[in-house]
Amino acid sequence: MLQFALFLGLLGWLLVDGARSMGYNWQWYRVPRYVVQVLDGEVFLGPLLKGLLVTLEISAYAMVLTIVIGLVAAVLRLSASVAGRWLVVAYVEAIRNTPLLVQLYLVYFVLAPVLGLERFWAGVLCLAVFEGAFAAEIFRAGIQAVRLGQWESAWALGLTRAQAYRFIVLPQALRVILPPLAGLAVSLVKHSAIVSIIAVFDLTNEGRNVISDTFLTFEIWLTVAALYLCVTVTLSLGVGLLEKRLKGSAA
Amino acid sequence: MNENDKPALSRRFLAPAAGSAAAFGALVFGARSASAQGADARATLAGTSMIEEVKRRNTLRVGMSTFVPWAFRNKTGELIGYEIDVANRLAQDLGVRAEFIPTAWDGIVPALLAGRFDAIIGGMSITPARNLSANFTAAYSATGVDMAASKRLADGMTTIEAYNRPNVTLTGRRGSSGITAVQRLMPRATIRQFDDDAQSILEVVNGRAHAMVGSVPRPLFASLDNPEALFRPFAQPLVRQADAMAVRKSDPDALNFLDNWIMLRQLDGWLEERQAYWFGAREWRDQVPG
Amino acid sequence: MARPGPGLSQLDREATGGPYARWRRGFGLADGAVLALVVGACLLLGWRAGMALDYRWNFAPVWAFVVRYDTERGWVANLLLQGLFTTLRVSFWAAIIAAILGVLMGVARTSRLLLPRLIAGFYVETIRNIPPLVFIFVFYFFVTSQILPALGVEDWIRRQPPESLWWIAALFGPPQQAAGVIAAILCLGLFEGAYVTEIVRAGIQSIAPGQSEAARALGLSRAGTLRLVVLPQAIGRTVPPLAGQAVSLVKDSSIISLVSIQDLAFLGTEVSASTNRVFETWIVVALLYFIVCGALSLIASRLERRFAAHNR
Repeated sequence: MLQFALFLGLLGWLLVDGARSMGYNWQWYRVPRYVVQVLDGEVFLGPLLKGLLVTLEISAYAMVLTIVIGLVAAVLRLSASVAGRWLVVAYVEAIRNTPLLVQLYLVYFVLAPVLGLERFWAGVLCLAVFEGAFAAEIFRAGIQAVRLGQWESAWALGLTRAQAYRFIVLPQALRVILPPLAGLAVSLVKHSAIVSIIAVFDLTNEGRNVISDTFLTFEIWLTVAALYLCVTVTLSLGVGLLEKRLKGSAA
Repeated sequence: MNENDKPALSRRFLAPAAGSAAAFGALVFGARSASAQGADARATLAGTSMIEEVKRRNTLRVGMSTFVPWAFRNKTGELIGYEIDVANRLAQDLGVRAEFIPTAWDGIVPALLAGRFDAIIGGMSITPARNLSANFTAAYSATGVDMAASKRLADGMTTIEAYNRPNVTLTGRRGSSGITAVQRLMPRATIRQFDDDAQSILEVVNGRAHAMVGSVPRPLFASLDNPEALFRPFAQPLVRQADAMAVRKSDPDALNFLDNWIMLRQLDGWLEERQAYWFGAREWRDQVPG
Repeated sequence: MARPGPGLSQLDREATGGPYARWRRGFGLADGAVLALVVGACLLLGWRAGMALDYRWNFAPVWAFVVRYDTERGWVANLLLQGLFTTLRVSFWAAIIAAILGVLMGVARTSRLLLPRLIAGFYVETIRNIPPLVFIFVFYFFVTSQILPALGVEDWIRRQPPESLWWIAALFGPPQQAAGVIAAILCLGLFEGAYVTEIVRAGIQSIAPGQSEAARALGLSRAGTLRLVVLPQAIGRTVPPLAGQAVSLVKDSSIISLVSIQDLAFLGTEVSASTNRVFETWIVVALLYFIVCGALSLIASRLERRFAAHNR
C-alpha cells in the first residue's frame, strides 16, 4: 500500500513537473466559470455541466432503445424463422465490422434526412443501433443459459411461446444478462461522445467549443475527462455492487 | 612615531591600488560581459528564429486546413488553392521546400504553439483573441464574414435582427472567425459548430439550419453551387476581416521577413493575381471532381 | 464486447426452447412476415428518400478517389486507398504495442504482489472509463507537443537521406507525416493495451489453480510455473478474444482521424468535402472498413474454432 502511495506520488510529481516545464501556460483559474457560475446567489450551470446533462439524456434514451433492439434481435435470432435469423446475423456483422464514426456519418447524412430526424434523435438512433448489436448477443447468451428443464415445464403448463418467454425464461435470463448489460451502459456513455461530431451539444462538443474560444486545451480536456470519469466510475461501481448482489441471491 | 606615521609605500598604496585595479577590472570585464550578454541574447534570438530553423531544415512546414478555395485537394489528391500557392511561393523565395501539415482548424493555433509547424498559412483572419496567443504578419488578403441562407427556412430574412432569435439555427466551422462574429452579432441564435465548411453547408442545404456563416467567398460559392437551396441574405459582408500568416510569439526576425515578403508580393501584383484566380471566376473548377 | 459470436451454422444445429423449437429448413409463416417487413421498410425508405432529398446519386467521382488511372504509371491508388493503407499501418503497429503492453500488464494484474496489481489496475480502470475521443485528443496533443520533440523524432527523419526513406514510407507512410503517425500509434496502442490486459488477465485466471499448485508441488518456481505451465495454456484461451480485439482496434483507429491523421476516415471527410458527394463517399468508406474488419472477423472465428477444439 505504501509502495502504491509512493508510486502515485511519483506519478503526480512527474505530471506536475512535466506540466510546468512544458512551456504551456496553465490557466486553471479560467476554468471554473465554464463548469458552474454563482451570480447573486443563483446557480448557473456552465456549458460543460449543461453538456454533461445532454450526454446523460442521450445515453438514457439510447439505452432504452438499445434494450428494445437487443431483445427483439435476440428473440428473432433464436426463432424458427430462417429469414429472421439471417437478418439478425447480417445486422450484427454489419455493425461489428464498421467503425462507429462511419455509422454515425451514414445515419446522420443518409438516414436522418430520409426519416426526418433531427440531430439529437439521429445520435440516439445511431448509438442504439450500434450498442443494440452487442445487446443482442448478450440477450441471446442469457436466454440460451436458461436450463432446458424450464422450457419443458412451461410446455407442460400449456403456455404459448410468448408466454413462456415472458413468465419463465426472461426473468431467469435476467440474472445472466444484467451484469454485461450494465457494462454496456458504461460503454454507451463513453461512445456517446461521438455525437459531438454532428454538433449535438453534449459534453465533448461543449468542451471543444470552449477550447476553440479560449485555447485552454489541456485544462478543459482534463476537466471533461474528469466529468466522464465521474459518470462511468459511478456506473461501474454500481455494476460491481449489482454483480455481488446477484451472485449472493443465486447461491 | 615617524615609522608608524608613514608605513611602507607599497603598503600605503596597496589598498587604493588594489581597489582601483579591481574597479578597473570590473569596469572592463563587466562592461565586456554586458555587451557580450547583449550579443548572446541577439545570437540566441537569431538562432532560434523560425527563419533560421527553416533554412537549417531546408523545409518550410505549413499548417493549414481544407478550406475551398484556400486549400483543398484536386483529382489526383494533391493540395491546391490560394494559400497553397502563397506558401509554395514563399518557400521558393526562401530557397527551401514547402511541406503541408493538414490540421483540424480548431486545434491549429495550439498545434502552432506546440511546434508542429512553422507558420499557419491557411486563410486565418486576424482576431484579438488569436493575437493573444500567436503573432500575425501584415494582412495580405481582405475578406469578410458572409452568410448563405436556406431558401426554404430563411426566406425573406435579410436583416441581422431576423437571425437574432433563439429558434434560428446557424452553422459554421468550429474555431472560425465567422463563429465569433455571429456569437457577437446574433447572440440569441442557436449556433452549431462543425469540423469543416462542407458539413455546415450541407446542414443548410438539407434544411436543418437557417444559414451557414463563413469567410468570403465561401458562402458565395456555396450559393452558386446550390442555387435551388441557398441564397445570400446580405449584399455586404457582415464583418470585414483581414487574413494573415500566424507565427509563434517572440520571433521578430520571422515577422520582419514575412512582412517584407508580403509587401514585395503586393508591390509586384503577384498576390492580387493569385487572389483573382482563386476567388474570382473559378476557372479551376474542372480540377475538382464532382 | 470483442468476442466473435458463433457462426450461423452452429446455432442452427442447437435449437433453443426445448419443446418449443420447431426447426424448419424451408419457408414458414414467420419468414414471410419478416421478409414482408424488410421489403416494406426498404420501399418506404426509398420512397421517402426520393421525396425528401431529391438527390442525384453519382458514384463516379468517389471511385476515382479510390483508384485512378495515371497516364504514366497505370492504375494508381488514390486518396481513399492511401487512407486505407495508413489505417492498416497504424492498426498493425498499435496492435504490437497493445499486445506487449497488455501481456505485461495482464501478468502484473494477476501478480501476488500488491504493487504491480495496483499499477496495472489503475492503468486499466482509467482508460476503460474515459471516452476514446477524449483520450485521443488529450494524449495525442500531449505526445506530439512534449514527447516527440523531446525524442527528436521529426528532426531525425528529416536528416535521413532520401534513399533510406523508403522503409519509413513503407512502415509508417509519407515521411513528412511519419511523426504524427508514430504519435497516433503510441496513443492507440496505449488505449487498446488496457483491453488486451483484461483479456490476458481473464485468460490467466481461467487456468484452474490446480495447475499452478501442481506445478509448485513439482518444484517449479513462480516464474517457471508461469512460463511453462500457465502461459502456454492461457495462450489458447486468449488468442480468439485477442483476434476479436484486433477487429476493434481497426475500428477504433478511425478515431485518429479527429486529430488529423490522414487515415481512411479523415480522407473520407476530405473527399466528401472536395467532391460534395457526401452519401456516396461514406458508403464507399464503410464498405472498405467492412472488407478489412470482416476478413479479420473471419480469421478470428476460425481461430476460435481451432482453439476451442484444442481446449476440449
